[in-house]
Amino acid sequence: MSALDRLPSGRGDRALIAGVACLLVGGLFALTPLQASLPSALYVFVEVGITFVIYGMLVLGLDLQYGHTGLVNFGHVVFFAVGAYATAMLAAQDSFAGIALGYPWPLALLVGVIAAALLGLVVSATSIRLRDDFLAIVTLATAEIFHSIFVNFEGIFGGNVGILGVPRPIAGLVGDADTRMIATILVIGGVTLITLAAVTRLTDAPYGRVLRAIRADELVTRSVGKSTIVYKTQAFVYGAALAGLAGGLFALYNGAVAPGFFTIQVTVTIWIGMLLGGAANHRAVLAGLAIIMGLRLVSRFGLSVTPVSGDVFAAFRLVVVGLILIAVIRFRPAGIWGDPQELGVDQ
Amino acid sequence: MGLLQEAIFGVVTGSYIAIAAIGFTLIYGIVNMINFAYGEYLTLGAFVGFLAASAIPVPLPVAVVLAMIGGGVISIVLARGFFTPINHTGPVPMLLTSIGLGIAIRNAIRLFGGRSARYIETETTTFRFDGVPDVAIGSLDLLGGFFVTSEHLVVVGSAVAVFLAIHALLTRTDVGIAMRAMGDDESLARVRGIDTQLIRDSVWVLAGVLAGLAGVLMAIQTNVSSTTGFSHILQILSAAILGGAGSPYGAIIGAYVIGLALAISTAFLPSSMTGLSSAVAFAILIAVLLVKPSGIAGTEVREA
Repeated sequence: MSALDRLPSGRGDRALIAGVACLLVGGLFALTPLQASLPSALYVFVEVGITFVIYGMLVLGLDLQYGHTGLVNFGHVVFFAVGAYATAMLAAQDSFAGIALGYPWPLALLVGVIAAALLGLVVSATSIRLRDDFLAIVTLATAEIFHSIFVNFEGIFGGNVGILGVPRPIAGLVGDADTRMIATILVIGGVTLITLAAVTRLTDAPYGRVLRAIRADELVTRSVGKSTIVYKTQAFVYGAALAGLAGGLFALYNGAVAPGFFTIQVTVTIWIGMLLGGAANHRAVLAGLAIIMGLRLVSRFGLSVTPVSGDVFAAFRLVVVGLILIAVIRFRPAGIWGDPQELGVDQ
Repeated sequence: MGLLQEAIFGVVTGSYIAIAAIGFTLIYGIVNMINFAYGEYLTLGAFVGFLAASAIPVPLPVAVVLAMIGGGVISIVLARGFFTPINHTGPVPMLLTSIGLGIAIRNAIRLFGGRSARYIETETTTFRFDGVPDVAIGSLDLLGGFFVTSEHLVVVGSAVAVFLAIHALLTRTDVGIAMRAMGDDESLARVRGIDTQLIRDSVWVLAGVLAGLAGVLMAIQTNVSSTTGFSHILQILSAAILGGAGSPYGAIIGAYVIGLALAISTAFLPSSMTGLSSAVAFAILIAVLLVKPSGIAGTEVREA
């Protein structure tokens, strides 16, 4: 019995129920005077946990693109960044630098998702026909271009400072810090679980079978009459839109966006999480991401007990992360819970 | 500053990018992988050169040679350890491995060397040409006074020497001809009796030597830090793809196009936006992949 069998598998329904439950409980904390208290030792867990659920949406979108369709998108962070910036610029009030329009946040979030989806559409319209490794390079270059645009157009994007003064809906409702963190992780985690349910529905449907067929052999898929370019474009845009949603939620949770939050490091983290868990398996990619992000916790605790400086420790953690990526590809190309047969890799 | 001066800077930048891009494109053509860790080879080469020139200390030309040897050794050791065992898995796992390796090496360098930039002491002579008349078009100055340093001449001279040596290697020696044969068709080359693994190893060594040279030239020109190579990898990659992935001659042309585009865009961009010049290189890269994915002299990279 493999570890996979012990993971719950309810065709995504269980994830949907859990997601709605999380949202309801989170809403309860946010809207009623109900209070929760958090031992201070757990602060760091909840903090990393919030980042984890946000990155969870990224990894689910990326898995739809790479795990199911075989699109090598190595610039996933750009859609996250565009969603976050669009949301922030529309919703922010009195930012220190850059544009702040002060529209209501639900509208801003919607625009953020649409902006990311549109960028995904543009990127896929121009480059989806490229060979795998060149698609990786184009997406990576796109991410770098946007990064330098965000840094350099100070009047619009606020330069290195970014956009400040983004409304924080949950913080606006809850004054108390402990309750706020609990409510945040429940609400965003609920959205992530609902996302998980949605992508599971999508990939369990015949639609998902076509995506996996494209991954396995594009020529054969085309020869049975499927327009592979259309499917690939759709998968790419869905992934981009999910990243945009994650970005928008990040902006509304964090209260500010800056180029430093959207570096290539984000792309690398979610890629390693996906490969470690096992591409093409939604729960596995989330588990893989949890392992990689768990390393952050280890390094935070490690930092407090070892006499070295934070910079040294960060460098050491990244060496380990790089070696994990190499080791996974070499020794376990299907990931921990992935199916090597389906992914077409030999162990 | 006149446009001519910017163009000189562009040629210097193009020169060291060209040296590195030849190595990068050879790996792409013969091992069939995009090596994202290649920037780190430059950094390691630069550090070898820096240590040789400051710690031992040896004269600068000897340090450059040591950096080249160091680059070659590092390259073959890393290839044997990380890339040769997964040669059969195809381009994507190789690319991902190189990304992981790049992160690990970059941060290992940071771990041992810190973030600070180091400088190689050189004696520089500056040749000034102030008498050149300005040819102004609007606010833009086409000629104007300019200067060339001895460092600039060394960089451009080394690049030209490398081009000639690579040309001779690829057309006059058995190893070079075998490399070209393998780049064309690997199975056919094997049928013909070429030891493909040996050729692959020689390509790794050659690419490492070129990376060491490019790295140490960058170090002489600017400085050495843990991000020396990484900050240039996308330019090297753009140059190689612009020239047509796999073609060394195309890479040389691509590198000078990128170098000049970077330098001249600096002249046109407002001073607060000079950071955008790197975006210009990537915009060129994307444009090339969309309009003529085969580059100036390469093969088709689209599937459908």
